[in-house]
Amino acid sequence: MQLKGKYEFNGTQQQVWDLFTNPESLAQAMPGCQELRETGPGKYDALMKIGIAAVKGTYTGKFEIADPDPPNRYQLIGEGSGSPGFVKGTTDIQLTGSNDKTIVTYQGEVQVGGLIAGVGQRMISGIAKMMLNQFFKKMKKELKASGSAGS
Amino acid sequence: MPDPEARRWVGKRYKRKEDLRLLIGEGKFVDDIQLPKMKHAAIIRSPYPHALIKNIDTTQAEKLPGVRGILTGQDVKEMSKPFPCGVPIPPKYYSCAVDKVRYVGEPVAVVVADSRYIAEDALDLIQVDYEPLPVVMDIEEAAEPDAPVLHDNIGSNIYSHRLMQYGEPAKAFEEADLLVKGKFLFPKYGSTPIETYAVVASYNPVNQEFVIYNNYQGPFVNHSLVALALGIPENKMRWIVPTDIGGGFGTKTGVFPYIALIALASKKTGMTVKWIEDRREHLLASATGTDRVTYMEAAVKRDGTILALKDKAMDNTGGYIRAPEPGCAYRSTGNHTGAYQIRHLDREVMVVGTNKCLTSPNRGYTCQELYFSVERLVDMVAAQLGMDPAEIRFKNFIQPDQFPYTTATGGIYDAGNYQKAFQKALDIVDYPKWRQEQEKARQQGRYIGIGIATIVDPSVTNIAYVTTALTPEQRAKGHPKSGSGESMTIKMDPLGQVHVIACTNPQGQGHETVISQIVADELGIDPDGITVSNVVDTHDRVYTITTGSYSSRFASVGTNALVNATRKLKDKLFKIAAHLLEVSPDELVLENQKFHVKDQPEKSIAVRHVAGTAHWHQTALPEGMDVGLFASSLITMPTSKPPDELDRVDSSNTYGFCCEVIVVEIDPETCEIKFHKWASMHDSGTVLNPMILEGQVMGSITHGLGGALYEEFAYDENGQCLTASFQDYLCPTSMEVPDIDIGHVETPSPFTALGSKGAGEASCESVPVAVANAIADALAPLGVVINELPLTPSKIWHLIKEAKAKQA
Repeated sequence: MQLKGKYEFNGTQQQVWDLFTNPESLAQAMPGCQELRETGPGKYDALMKIGIAAVKGTYTGKFEIADPDPPNRYQLIGEGSGSPGFVKGTTDIQLTGSNDKTIVTYQGEVQVGGLIAGVGQRMISGIAKMMLNQFFKKMKKELKASGSAGS
Repeated sequence: MPDPEARRWVGKRYKRKEDLRLLIGEGKFVDDIQLPKMKHAAIIRSPYPHALIKNIDTTQAEKLPGVRGILTGQDVKEMSKPFPCGVPIPPKYYSCAVDKVRYVGEPVAVVVADSRYIAEDALDLIQVDYEPLPVVMDIEEAAEPDAPVLHDNIGSNIYSHRLMQYGEPAKAFEEADLLVKGKFLFPKYGSTPIETYAVVASYNPVNQEFVIYNNYQGPFVNHSLVALALGIPENKMRWIVPTDIGGGFGTKTGVFPYIALIALASKKTGMTVKWIEDRREHLLASATGTDRVTYMEAAVKRDGTILALKDKAMDNTGGYIRAPEPGCAYRSTGNHTGAYQIRHLDREVMVVGTNKCLTSPNRGYTCQELYFSVERLVDMVAAQLGMDPAEIRFKNFIQPDQFPYTTATGGIYDAGNYQKAFQKALDIVDYPKWRQEQEKARQQGRYIGIGIATIVDPSVTNIAYVTTALTPEQRAKGHPKSGSGESMTIKMDPLGQVHVIACTNPQGQGHETVISQIVADELGIDPDGITVSNVVDTHDRVYTITTGSYSSRFASVGTNALVNATRKLKDKLFKIAAHLLEVSPDELVLENQKFHVKDQPEKSIAVRHVAGTAHWHQTALPEGMDVGLFASSLITMPTSKPPDELDRVDSSNTYGFCCEVIVVEIDPETCEIKFHKWASMHDSGTVLNPMILEGQVMGSITHGLGGALYEEFAYDENGQCLTASFQDYLCPTSMEVPDIDIGHVETPSPFTALGSKGAGEASCESVPVAVANAIADALAPLGVVINELPLTPSKIWHLIKEAKAKQA
């Protein structure tokens, strides 16, 4: 499954970069994220509870921020598995700033397996879009919070 | 054969004896079995299509209260052996993945717990580490030398490969005026029986014996396979199949690995273990028919005579190959040239493996794959010659006076009148009228098409066919196989009431009913009073390795055994009556439940007095006669012989005929198919019970319609199954099935006692291609090539779009 899109943030490129590489913010914004633990530089273990249609379950997984080119781009590599199957994907995250606005572009490919593929596939791209929306909305909130904290 | 006119019950719409108990919920299925201290199993299945199993951590799951034990692939490897399979190098196929998974849904471990709920919860606590491997999903790619190899011990993904020549195909191809060829893709599609797989296994360590309830439909060859895998003598494994099975269609053949798996779970945990497959498991990982790629070419004379066929077919049995495969490729050997006088055939057969779920026979067992190519090709030949598709079939049909007809491949077609049945179907539809309608419609830009398929439906598999997977030289070194035996026992109690013990474990075919009708006619009694037990028990029943209900064999060999046993019993009754009346048996007449001397009605004895004497007054019997009243018959079909040195084999022992004539119209906007007219004509010999036959034929048509328009086990390119629920695996319901005129022509088979033969699989073989031919015919002006199924609206829409783009 191909995923791509872009979101505009009210912040400088550096602010948005800091946000997108901050595990706490990521953990706050990721839908269903119960736990995010740093295991090395740019590497995290995650525990997520996600329901896709009738397929609900707990996933344990790993995230990695690879090939960082601050504050322009990085690659987010993730994989998770749980009783409903597995999810893995690689996404290019690109930041383009102008003045106090930054556009975050993502483009990636996600593979699902097991029950989620067999039962949820027809709904999965819709659900992925919804979850990404939730994620970016929360990230915007996080940015606002950190911005107001900083001012 | 008794005069059909004298039959009082056979051929009548006698109501099914089975229905009352089924309708009021009193059927007896495996899930109705409740045993003391019974525990429940759940199976963890692979989410990967191809991966190494690096580790299985069961510690958390074992701690869950109520969990009684966990069986993993390592246990299975230590406690059992791989299942044997009739290919030169079988893969190491165990009941559970060992070290490596090869399709999504493959069992990886079994949890036994106090309830299914606890067992399912425990599955979530098992950690399996996989290391994904490259996948191969395409049949032709799987056969390439650089494809990822599924089984190291085989070294390639080719499970079976043979070249076979019948007649002189090369010469026929030289003599041809025209060659017509095509490539045909048949999807992976299956059956969706209302009852899923079910097993209750119990191991007794005292006598080292398994008692296993299951819903396997036979044949009992799988009993041997499981015993071999478990490393035990067959008499240490008792199988019991309850009275009712909720549909089989071939799919239930695939329950045998689960019988072994749950048996091992019972042995390891020391518990009686029940496992009922859920629907998701069934759609994901039970068994489907094979998907097939066919390259077929016809050598044709200008007058429409088809001289020869070249056929290269590649079947896909998925991550492993297991019995009865490679039957998929060889089962239709005898009827490979269909309803036609085609005397030359060049065959290449290949069975390959990909990372898809495993296979089993699917109602019609690859005849739908075969006829999809043959009958599409016949239409293509007609189109090239400018002939009518009905005319080319009449041109090539076997003639009524040629029966019994031996095909180029060794099939012995018992009886038929294909012309008569086909003409009847054309008449019902009013074929010439619809050809005119089609012309008019085409001028208006509408897509009307007429689809025809005329096929030969094999019934009663001869077990010999499986050995054609080996070359004649390989066969000569092994043990020959042949036969299609069935067993029936009939007994009469001291009051003259009749009980029949069958071993056909039917899955809805109504054997109790038809057995009662047949026996009632043979003995001149009322069918209502006849009782039948069809509970299979390998300890208590007498059977042969071929026993069971598969390959539509009841109406042929089942009735042969029944009539034979009944006539033996009748013969004994005559002898006793004659002895008591001090006459010879041929002086007696049986009428109104009395024996009387011909022309002397007063000199008589009631059947129940004869029966009473056999039980109560044993010294009154003729000298040397066994006491009591029962008779058994275990017989095979006379044509069930091994293949000859030229690979010719009568792979089935009776052959029915079936044809479809279907008028469709395709909506140019939505590409939805509308059925204007549909005639389905059958010749399955003598009709035993028209009502039961109607149900069987209707079911078969519907199953075929599913294959034509809806059903496919679809996978994405990464090997994930996309159709693990009825939301995505579409089956036709009553809403999708149009009005169909079903008719019968009765040409009695000379090979069966009543002239009857199998009928329930025929339309499943003819409908997919007939619908495809109708759609191809509708879209012919656009030059659309129809060579795959299912023909979903989106597929047709794309084909029309592409064709229009090409024409523009």
